[in-house]
Amino acid sequence: MKKELFENKIGEAYTKVILDNGLKVFILEKPQYNSAYALFGTKYGSIDTIFNVDGKEIAVPEGIAHFLEHKLFESQDGDAFSKFAKTGAYANAFTSFDRTCYLFSCSDKFYENLSILLDFVQSPYFTEETVNKEQGIIGQEIRMYDDSPAWRVMFNMLMAMYHNHPVRIDIAGTVESISKIDYNLLYDCYNTFYNPSNMFICIAGNVDTDTCLKQISEGVKKSDPKEIIRIKPEEPDSVLTDYTEQALEVAQPMFCFGFKESLDSPEKTVKEKILTSLLLNIISGDASPLYKQLINDGLINDEFDNEHFCGNGYSALIFEGESKDPKAVSMAIKNEILRLKNDGIDKKLFNAIRAGMYGSSIRLFNNVESIAMQLTECAMNDCGLFDELKYLKAITIDDVTRKLNEINLENSVLSVISPKN
Amino acid sequence: MSLEILELQSGVEGLFIKNNRFNTTLVSYNFYLPLKKETAAENALLPFILTSCSNRYPDFSRLNYKLSKLYGARLNASTEKYGDYQLLRMTISVINDRFSLEGDSLVKNASELLLGLIFEPKCENGVFFEDDLEREKRKAIEHIKGEISEKRVFAKKRLIEEMFKNEPYGTPKCGTVEDVQAITGESLYKAWKNMLSSGFVRVQVVGSAVPDGLFEEVSERFSTVDRNNVCDCKISAPAKKVSTPKTVTDYMDVSQGKLCLGFSTTLCGNDDVALPLMVMTDIFGGGPYSRLFSNVREKMSLCYYCSASAIRQKGLVTVESGLETDNFEKAEKEILNQLEALKKGEFSDFEFESSIKSITDSLNTYNDSQNSIDLWYVIKVNNDSLYTPEDIAEKISTITREDVINAAEGVCLNTVYKLLPKEAK
Repeated sequence: MKKELFENKIGEAYTKVILDNGLKVFILEKPQYNSAYALFGTKYGSIDTIFNVDGKEIAVPEGIAHFLEHKLFESQDGDAFSKFAKTGAYANAFTSFDRTCYLFSCSDKFYENLSILLDFVQSPYFTEETVNKEQGIIGQEIRMYDDSPAWRVMFNMLMAMYHNHPVRIDIAGTVESISKIDYNLLYDCYNTFYNPSNMFICIAGNVDTDTCLKQISEGVKKSDPKEIIRIKPEEPDSVLTDYTEQALEVAQPMFCFGFKESLDSPEKTVKEKILTSLLLNIISGDASPLYKQLINDGLINDEFDNEHFCGNGYSALIFEGESKDPKAVSMAIKNEILRLKNDGIDKKLFNAIRAGMYGSSIRLFNNVESIAMQLTECAMNDCGLFDELKYLKAITIDDVTRKLNEINLENSVLSVISPKN
Repeated sequence: MSLEILELQSGVEGLFIKNNRFNTTLVSYNFYLPLKKETAAENALLPFILTSCSNRYPDFSRLNYKLSKLYGARLNASTEKYGDYQLLRMTISVINDRFSLEGDSLVKNASELLLGLIFEPKCENGVFFEDDLEREKRKAIEHIKGEISEKRVFAKKRLIEEMFKNEPYGTPKCGTVEDVQAITGESLYKAWKNMLSSGFVRVQVVGSAVPDGLFEEVSERFSTVDRNNVCDCKISAPAKKVSTPKTVTDYMDVSQGKLCLGFSTTLCGNDDVALPLMVMTDIFGGGPYSRLFSNVREKMSLCYYCSASAIRQKGLVTVESGLETDNFEKAEKEILNQLEALKKGEFSDFEFESSIKSITDSLNTYNDSQNSIDLWYVIKVNNDSLYTPEDIAEKISTITREDVINAAEGVCLNTVYKLLPKEAK
């Protein structure tokens, strides 16, 4: 077992432990809080569609990671929700592109809840009957997202941006793809990805680190670390198509405008991510000249936002919102990037945005849920909780300018949801 | 943790919620006005125009730059319904001074900034400027029209509109597009004056200290305002019991339909009256242990969500679900069956106890979230006691099965709202 303590000047500290079986554990104590938040996750999400099992390559139906998440709540001795109901904890789970996480938050009986969490995530129980029952429920979840323009505009963009990378497929899959899921496939996925060496536990709140560690060490199954071979199709640097449109029941068009980034390595570093966030706010944040122009021209409203979307094998700079004229917005964004490349970045704006990001990093420690979520980033990306504060101080305008110059204006996708009729 | 309430002027309260655990300080201004069709749009626009510019920051871009320099201070505006009242909210939160890299008084600066926005709007001769007005009107209209996008939210909004037709509570919280279009620089200025003179006001601080001089300054600002006719914010009419429920159906080009049911109850008002309703609603359709989750979702596999919630100020219970068109009848019948079961006391001790534990556990987490604790007290004004979440948790533990059955017996279907795919027509 390897144990390290990290402290910071702002008065926060956390412990990182790697158990012998490879499980990573992160704990941040907040003794003045009433509650705690714990999360048990695996590096396994919707993008892990092709992998090796016992030397044999298998391709699984789209949406299976999410399906597994639903089914893991059921065990031979009843479902996990009933067990949490006895303690009063709030329990839930989510699946994203690259991870699946099971979580609870509570103000009482923390260790009892931790025991339930450890137990149900490590006790798969899939049968034909329970798998069939879930098809109807998840089918309706998929239908719900089919009607959500905010969801569709994003996925349509990803489908246009990526030729082959599985980030282009919907996290929950389709009604058709999930109909191909059976309990044997679920076990294949579980046995491949739910190995402790591919998993992590993150805890923040009113807990005692040593008590948690003892309980986790005793509650985690012994197993040898396992190498997972994920097979990712070759992805060209270019986008598949630069424009995509779908009509849905909305009042005015919604858009998602993204620049695809090429990747030297599968993952972006923390420093790169911070640089990119800073750059995005210099381009289009609410204090930027572009934001002022777009609001005054009646082209955007308060829904306008930006995002650095990245993970294993994908990275994009995204601008999203509602507009009567999404094409005009996308042109204005391109022109602003060009202007910045020619004229350089305003030093005052750079400093103001950096100060704002520093404030957000401090603010994060207000809330046990946001701390635990940030700890999962540390587990997924092998970084530290205080890295952002550290890098923000060191970042210079030259760093951001370098990042700005990397943007390839020709490699963009505009996705639009237009009103029906 | 402690509470300190001060009457700063007639109908103007200052509430300090002392809580040392946060890295930030939050100040919220809450104005309560009667919810009426004639004034809803104007009132709703106020928090947005006031937090977009002021005499000192004549353009929103300069204001946003200032907020960024204040280490990303967060300025927010919103309009909500609070029973038959309209709640206009403006808040600012900022990191505490000890984190400032240059030793400036961040909390005081942020607090003064918000005060300036509310009391010194950018106006000339009693009129808001045309360009500011048009910008905010456009955004408000886009927001109202945009409510159609998220069908679950839209369906619930339509249920409330239909169930409370021709009543104040049926008024959309931001008014209608037509009402927004009719707003002029002059009428908005009058609405601002009216907000200051006749709104009930609660200024709240959540943090380790009240920003230096804040309550004194608020008191001073209101001392020059005629506060003789202040909204009492006391009575909201309970949802009406009807003998025949009505059904309203809209059709849209969607792949999943939405079913929303609205019920009147016999428990309406403050916490002391309405707590049994809260527990009953939770057993009915709260957590995964609830009747609706375990039957409509888990046993019958009809939907991804089927949940119930209650608004105590109106004695209102609603149920919402997303369904295939063919399953609407089955689901509606099952929802009503589950309600009948509650009336007959056919719920297990496990369900009852799970609900009590879940509500209690979640109440005890409120003090860990600055926004939650602010909102907790925002909906405790006038005839509500300033109970803490812990007080309510204690009261919840005294609720009995009989209280739940009594609460269920008073629940009566009023309106069924259906949003169906066009092909179902």
